[in-house]
Amino acid sequence: MAASSHPIEERQGSSPLTNILLRQEVILFLILILAVTLLALSSDKFLTVSNILNQGRLLTEIGLVALPMTFIIITGGIDLSVGSILGVCAIVLGYMWNPSGPFQLPLEAAIIVSLALGTLCGLVNGLIIVYIGVPPLITTLATLALYRGLAEGISQARSVRGYPEWFFQLGQGEVLGVPTQLWVLVFFVIVTAIILSRTVFGRSLYAIGNNELGARFSGIPTGLYKIIIYAFSGFMSGMAAWIFVSRVTTTRSDMGSGLELDAIAAVVLGGTSIFGGTGSIVGTVIGFVLIQLLKNGLSLAGVTTDGTIVVIGTVLILAILINNFIQRRTNAA
Amino acid sequence: MRKTLLVGLLLTTVLVLGFALAMPAAAQDRWDGADDLPVSPLECPAMDGEMAATDEPAAMEAPEYDGGQAVNAPDLAGQDIVLVDVPKLVGIGYFAATTLGEQQAAEELGNVTVTTDAPTEANIDDQIAVIDNYITQGVNGILFAANDPVAIAPVLRRALEAGIHVVGYDANSEPDAREWFVNQAEFNGIAKAMVDSMVAEIGDAGSFAIVTSTFTTPNQARWIAEMQAYQEKCYPGMTWLETVEAQEDNQLSFNQATTLLNKYGPDVDGLFAMTSVATPAAAEAVTQAGLCSVDSASAAAPSAEEAVAVVGLATPNAMKPYVNDSCVKSVVLWNPIDLGYAAVYVMRAVVDGEFGPGDTTVEAGRLGTLTVVNGSEVLLGPPFIYTAENINDFDF
Repeated sequence: MAASSHPIEERQGSSPLTNILLRQEVILFLILILAVTLLALSSDKFLTVSNILNQGRLLTEIGLVALPMTFIIITGGIDLSVGSILGVCAIVLGYMWNPSGPFQLPLEAAIIVSLALGTLCGLVNGLIIVYIGVPPLITTLATLALYRGLAEGISQARSVRGYPEWFFQLGQGEVLGVPTQLWVLVFFVIVTAIILSRTVFGRSLYAIGNNELGARFSGIPTGLYKIIIYAFSGFMSGMAAWIFVSRVTTTRSDMGSGLELDAIAAVVLGGTSIFGGTGSIVGTVIGFVLIQLLKNGLSLAGVTTDGTIVVIGTVLILAILINNFIQRRTNAA
Repeated sequence: MRKTLLVGLLLTTVLVLGFALAMPAAAQDRWDGADDLPVSPLECPAMDGEMAATDEPAAMEAPEYDGGQAVNAPDLAGQDIVLVDVPKLVGIGYFAATTLGEQQAAEELGNVTVTTDAPTEANIDDQIAVIDNYITQGVNGILFAANDPVAIAPVLRRALEAGIHVVGYDANSEPDAREWFVNQAEFNGIAKAMVDSMVAEIGDAGSFAIVTSTFTTPNQARWIAEMQAYQEKCYPGMTWLETVEAQEDNQLSFNQATTLLNKYGPDVDGLFAMTSVATPAAAEAVTQAGLCSVDSASAAAPSAEEAVAVVGLATPNAMKPYVNDSCVKSVVLWNPIDLGYAAVYVMRAVVDGEFGPGDTTVEAGRLGTLTVVNGSEVLLGPPFIYTAENINDFDF
């Protein structure tokens, strides 16, 4: 890519910012290693291949949503509607396919409709934010309610079940001994990491987060880029819905409720500043892996679920404190 | 300007699409319990003389055992076993009571250890993750109350494959994903008790509304379907105003109940509340609105026309204030302590090899002999109605 000739890229590359990013991720990685070591010591069931792969199955939906969330938070935005988009996509997938419903599409077509709807939901978020100028927090808080309401309205209390066997391959099957959906997640991690760090588009997102007005006057189509990332977020929520339905074999209108908080927690834990301008996919990946392994490892070590939430909250606060500390020190230097 | 128009157009499209999709479904007014099973309303109370015993459907043949089996489970008959109990959520009185019953049974048996662990919100995904972790950790048995009968099934099947015994209580899963399910009360029995209690207060021509958890929660959806069938059969003159969702959320239940009272005003005579959270919340809403049907001695009492009766499923402690104020006359429930107690006894019998496919009864300690119904369910007994006379005898 021609990224290296871009003014933003040069500014980022030559400043000490890159070093800090690197250091933040290194610190996070060390925390992850420390956590894994402690958890492995407290339960011999934790550090086994089957357990770790199984955790991969459980974290995929959050992971898929956290990737575009990283893009959005880097631009200084936020998307609270992802859980509701997941809900409405899951419901529409089932509703379109339902052999006793009004549409009775082939399952493949229902999946495509569901993904298209997810993208449309995200696109609507982006259009409202960019063209009407409503802050992302307010826009997506509104659509969080709107999309969940649609999911409940469309489903009318009915859950759709009885999917054909092949459909479960994605959510419950394995490819080369690894859960199928983990391959999907790995694919998207690589794609988003390359986009964010190696393309003009990706570097522009940092510019938008640092100084949106400046970015626009530098010739970056800020509006278009923001619409793209919100639409992408909607699409990924649709992907997550597909995998979720395949994993739990049913659709319910309350699916994905609270997902937005897990995803945002993973992104922020991964070192992305909630004010925009900094962050990376690697950090986010470490973030959601760390949260999932903590949940799992603490449970295996005999800590009950309510205790686990307390620990995760504490870890989040600590991570943010460390981030702040590093940032202040480098700013002073 | 053109862009704003574009956004407006898009938004309209989404909304219209949504409502168009929702329309055909909204037209259906039949409550089907979200599981397409047939309803089987019980006989009406004998008072109206026109009861025709000839309409009674022939007693059904006992269905075949349709539960699953733990694969290569180790033989632990009479030995110490470790169980984990995963209710829908922790932190509410109802599941605290089932946990208490489990602990009582474990203490009596002496060779069972039960730990209760579940998400703090009734969330299918979190519940699956909790069970998953206990399979990895390795326990001898799993007791569960499902947040969704289908969603929980794959992880339970994995437990059975790992040689872990699985027994459900309170909220069922797909039958083949567990060995037995302890059924606290048959759905039509609860439905009859609820509707009869309501009719006793508001008469057989009253109007009522329902506050439930979600339309797809297994128990609640089924009860409502049975209530509809029973009410249509026995009290066709009653008016069903609306059914609203309130999750299992205290504040939301209160708000929903208050909204119903404001929306229908004097047209609503009674509220059914379907969860242990919604019932006290509905009673509180009625109390705060000054609509309790207290004895007419008080000058401030609302006229019979305005008063709103509350009938619901709840634990006694939460309802004592309202029942003692005679704002609520009847609270319908089974005994959740007995439910948890029975679940542990059933699990012990399964592990000991004393209770398996084909058996029609199981011994459950102080509860005596429980019978098998519906293939692979153990029936706890008829529902229990708490009233001002007996509610103070219970403490959970």
